[in-house]
Amino acid sequence: MAEEKKNWPPYAPGTHVRESDIRDKKITYTWWEPEVQYNWSLGHAMSKFVQGLKAGKIVGIHCKRCKRVIVPPRMFCEYCYGPTDEWVDLKDTGVIETFSISYLDADARRIEDPILVGVISIDGASPQHGFMHYFGEMTKDEIKIGMKVKAVWKPENEREGSITDIKYFKPLKGGGD
Amino acid sequence: MGFLEKQTDPTTPMHWRGDMQADYFYPSGIAGDKFFKHIMENDTFLATKCSKCNKVLFPPRLYCEDCFEEIQDSEWIEVPSTGTVRLFTVATINAHGKKLEKPKVIAFIDIDNTDGSLLGIINTNDFNKELHGAKVKAIFKPKGTREGTLKDILYWE
Amino acid sequence: MKEVAVIGAGMTLFRRHLKETGKELSYLATKMAMEDAGIQKDDIDMVVMGSAPDAFDGIHMKGENLIDGSAATGKPYVRVFNGGGTGVFAPIAGWWHVASGVADVCLVVAEEKMGNCYPHPQTAFRHIWDPVLDRPLNPNLLWLFAMEMNRYMTVHNIKKEDIARVAVKNKRNAVGHPCAQLADANITVDDVLNSEIMAWPVQRLDVSPPSDGAAALIFCNKDIVHKFTDDPIYVAGTGWNIDSTMWTNRDLYFPRYVAQAAKMAYKKAGIVNPRKEIDFAEPYDPFDYKELHHMEGLLLCKKGEAADLTREGVTQRDGDMPICPSGGLLGVGNPIAATMGQKVCELYWQLAGKAGKRQIPGDPRVGVGQAWGDIMQMATVMVLRRG
Repeated sequence: MAEEKKNWPPYAPGTHVRESDIRDKKITYTWWEPEVQYNWSLGHAMSKFVQGLKAGKIVGIHCKRCKRVIVPPRMFCEYCYGPTDEWVDLKDTGVIETFSISYLDADARRIEDPILVGVISIDGASPQHGFMHYFGEMTKDEIKIGMKVKAVWKPENEREGSITDIKYFKPLKGGGD
Repeated sequence: MGFLEKQTDPTTPMHWRGDMQADYFYPSGIAGDKFFKHIMENDTFLATKCSKCNKVLFPPRLYCEDCFEEIQDSEWIEVPSTGTVRLFTVATINAHGKKLEKPKVIAFIDIDNTDGSLLGIINTNDFNKELHGAKVKAIFKPKGTREGTLKDILYWE
Repeated sequence: MKEVAVIGAGMTLFRRHLKETGKELSYLATKMAMEDAGIQKDDIDMVVMGSAPDAFDGIHMKGENLIDGSAATGKPYVRVFNGGGTGVFAPIAGWWHVASGVADVCLVVAEEKMGNCYPHPQTAFRHIWDPVLDRPLNPNLLWLFAMEMNRYMTVHNIKKEDIARVAVKNKRNAVGHPCAQLADANITVDDVLNSEIMAWPVQRLDVSPPSDGAAALIFCNKDIVHKFTDDPIYVAGTGWNIDSTMWTNRDLYFPRYVAQAAKMAYKKAGIVNPRKEIDFAEPYDPFDYKELHHMEGLLLCKKGEAADLTREGVTQRDGDMPICPSGGLLGVGNPIAATMGQKVCELYWQLAGKAGKRQIPGDPRVGVGQAWGDIMQMATVMVLRRG
């Protein structure tokens, strides 16, 4: 008994089942496909943000106590827990904070042409304030943390008030617009 | 100020529509697998008897949740697929709130020779019948078409 | 506040798919813990269940569903959840029950069945993203880790080889673990570096697998611990902390919320110099770089130093500061909440000298376990001490 106690767990209870056992119906199971729909309220801040995107601009909000310009905007500042103040129109350029080169799509399926995605801190907002988006017009060997980028927008008639109104961010050549 | 603004334009985007898609596969478990494999071949049920408290557990399980003792293989017993209606209701709308073409009688059935029960659908066209205490029998799908799930019981009569 | 001791622990096999239902898994782990402690169901006063999103098992309110298997019928019961942090948060909640004096003996059970979500638990993870800002971009959860890994590597100029060493160490460590899903005695750094690139810099062997599994732990009040053992293992400190959801507004290279939780735990434990006073650690390692990231968060080394310590062999089981002697998530498996088995149960087994082939040499007296969850937000830390 004392020797047994020196090896804990003494065994691993549980029955391994392989994908092939499931496919070949060696075990019984019940299958279920739930249908659930959601209607999320955007709230004031997100509503204003997506309206801004529809109009072709990125909107942030100012917290005067913390002296921060926040994007994505919110109705209250999570640091000082007070209401945020006035809306700020930001530039549509920024800097790459981090990125990934993904060979898997959203359903974990393998793709040949990788997706370039990352976090961009937006010019005009406080440092390291920004959001996630795709990168385009650059190769996986060119993409770097610290690269300056600019948003490429959908044409006005195709914008619907969504983060996808920006198609991707491309390298900002030179310094200007 | 952002927080204190009123929203006066009803066309401004206020909601975001979406869904949560995922499909689910529920293995029946050690006890459940034994039970469902049994009803694929037989028209009777299996139950488990706890040797400590003598309860006959139905649906059968790996362990008695009161005594927390594991049920041994020898404690599995066969019982007929018959029972008595303890509670019932007549459903006229489906899970999404739409009216059903034909009402459904759903009953909570105490299974004979066990201390357990099962939910089932009663096959009847008389929706005003008093079913409390009614003796019912499970009607299974034809052997060979059973898949090892609760749907192998078509309904009760 | 009462002193709390651990008197028993149990764990099931971890695999991608297990035949048992969630309740049956909870039962198997609980039964093993009760056997270890030498107690019956009636000796348990209260039960805490830790289990991550209902969306994995596919059973809404699965906390209520799992009580039968958790010896909880007819007892005070609560389910806690904070994503990946649950593995250490459930024991913290168990500790509250005994430390506050409302229970003398508290059982903590952690269970997960990720295999129920088809075709892959990734599908449930899709819903962790913000529906407006992130989901329209069709993100894959791996992107999030890849971005954090990239930031960490770039800020500290760390090479992939050094990070891959963690995967090799943990998968080899797991060879002594009966429950392990991915133990591999022969894996090398080259194997990891040559594995499929999923979302650069994350490659297949950098990631822990989704798993089914359960674990259980039993706490008791110091006043009665003499009934169970002569050499008790005590909870010396607990800490937990969460950072903002707005992960794009934070610099991901350092997990400040882990440092906050660690400071809280170390203060309670009276630990002033973690690197010297802690004998071994089980930081959360769903990815190999996360072990390094969390070592720094746990203040076990300076920022950017974790990779050097790994390269020098300091974190091997026979090194100066063993890290993840259980094999961690990379070696044993990742059934979210049930990782309690590696992060807290393992601390207990090591301190009690019960870890068998995984036993750390010498005389470890203090260990720290940590879990991490949500969108790079939640940190939970527990320090156990012998005597």
